[in-house]
Amino acid sequence: MSERPLIEVKNVTLTYRSGKGVFDLDFNVKAGEIMGYLGPNGAGKTTTIRALLGFMKPDRGECLIGGLDCTKNAAAVQQRLGYIPGEITFPDDMHGDEFLKFISDMRRTAKNGHKGLNNNHKNRQKELTELFELDLKGRIRKFSKGMKQKLAIVTAFMHDPEILILDEPTSGLDPLMQNRFEALLSEEKSKGKTILMSSHLFEEVEKTCDNVLIIKDGRIVKQSDIHGLAASQRKTYIVRTSDAARLAALMEGENFETGPLASADSLEIFVNSADTGRFIRILAGADILDLDVKAQTLEDVFMQFYTGNTGDGGAAKQNEHGIT
Amino acid sequence: MNMALLRMTLKKNWVLIAIFYGILTMYLSVMISMFDPEEVNKLLEMVEMFPENLMKAMGFTSIATTLTAYLASWLYGMLMLGLPMVYCIILGNRLVAKMVDNNSIAYLLSTPNSRIRIIITRGVYAILSLILLFTAVTATGVLLSESIYPGLLDIAAFIKLNIITAMVNMVVMMISFFFSCLFNEAKYSSLLGAGVPIIFLLMNMLSGVSDKIEYLKRFTIYGLFDPVGVINGETVWQAQLIYAAIIAVLFSSAVLIFNKKRLPI
Repeated sequence: MSERPLIEVKNVTLTYRSGKGVFDLDFNVKAGEIMGYLGPNGAGKTTTIRALLGFMKPDRGECLIGGLDCTKNAAAVQQRLGYIPGEITFPDDMHGDEFLKFISDMRRTAKNGHKGLNNNHKNRQKELTELFELDLKGRIRKFSKGMKQKLAIVTAFMHDPEILILDEPTSGLDPLMQNRFEALLSEEKSKGKTILMSSHLFEEVEKTCDNVLIIKDGRIVKQSDIHGLAASQRKTYIVRTSDAARLAALMEGENFETGPLASADSLEIFVNSADTGRFIRILAGADILDLDVKAQTLEDVFMQFYTGNTGDGGAAKQNEHGIT
Repeated sequence: MNMALLRMTLKKNWVLIAIFYGILTMYLSVMISMFDPEEVNKLLEMVEMFPENLMKAMGFTSIATTLTAYLASWLYGMLMLGLPMVYCIILGNRLVAKMVDNNSIAYLLSTPNSRIRIIITRGVYAILSLILLFTAVTATGVLLSESIYPGLLDIAAFIKLNIITAMVNMVVMMISFFFSCLFNEAKYSSLLGAGVPIIFLLMNMLSGVSDKIEYLKRFTIYGLFDPVGVINGETVWQAQLIYAAIIAVLFSSAVLIFNKKRLPI
């Protein structure tokens, strides 16, 4: 059983009346893994999370958490889960501390032995509140967006759940608080927590996640570990040479893609990380005046999938080649 | 049932009960103090000055000469239906559809409580709050009558009258609650949750205007509701049984629908 992934999404299709939705999603998140879930707005990230939380039953396929069906056994699944909604609305007219107390009470069900939040959890709540410098006094309605986000984070983590599903958890946080959140995630990871985190922030995923799923138009277009994705990164080099013709001759047949000339004596060359050594050896044969690097981020990799096959298809293909 | 949720629901909605208790108490005290055993005949004369159909539409079907029948006719014919109806419509919409519409129900559902448990708790609150409201109104009515006209109120009949009135209002509550569970958008929930009971009430009023359209009442939930009849000792258990059945059917289908439906939250 220990081998079984904690989060299983099996051939899930969930469509809305508009025809949008998610199609044939199939992925797992293993115990102790942090999975990043990347995609532009409207790609289907939140829809996937709705299915995992049991808010919507898939048309086909099934979602399992800890081996339990997310729709049929929603209450049992929630026992092990912490959740940050993508669009956060708290019940009307509650105070911050009142809300946390209420959610703690709601977690205290007959089935889990009337315990709810024990003292450890109360301490955890206090720790988190201090970590994010959150003032719980006052009506939530009057909270700023950042404060609401912090309250949502405390709510999701305070009962020390083993599985966390986070829908764009850092939106509305300032950079300082984003760093603290990243630190919180690595702390949770060291405790062996399993996390699925949706985001459209590439840096965030790059820093915190082990593996990445990329979703576009409701379909998974790429699943990779973060290093694989990093290895698939192409760098763009701008090479200035005194003898452009000689450089062009050297590059010929070496299977490097070249971009448009930046100027008469400059050549733009795309190089996969894996080919860097070979590229440098070739350059050694030419008279190089200057070498500039335009580093590509995960965002560039992602944009290749997002913008689709038109125009940039060759580059995307080369990327896939780079991974294998 | 989840006690934490029930407590929170009461905490956030008790003001609504208090407001409607205040309004109903105000009408009760005005009506009771206007009753004058000596001058019932004068009242009769005054009533006769108004067109008969108008008085019938307002629910003042028969002219009462005892305090109990007077209250049944003047207060329970119309006001004790219309005013609690407003309460039912507001609360019904608040309990479910509003929370789905603004997403805040996501926080209830992300705790280890099934949808069924959460929605039953909300529905039970709706019923309990009406029981509380009518218990308070009944007690206040008895106290006010006894202090102004000791011994004049037929307390047993007055309690019986309030039980059946509470039940017909529970049907209204369950209609609003049902639509609140059915729709994900508060605007549709309040449209039908308010619209259907209001149409029933209007049909009930219209049926009093002319004998020709008196049958209209029979198509509404008020067809079995005859406050003056209750005071005069007519049996009401059949009506109570039917109301209880309607309440049970609406409540359980609301729970089942909510349990199965997709929540865009």
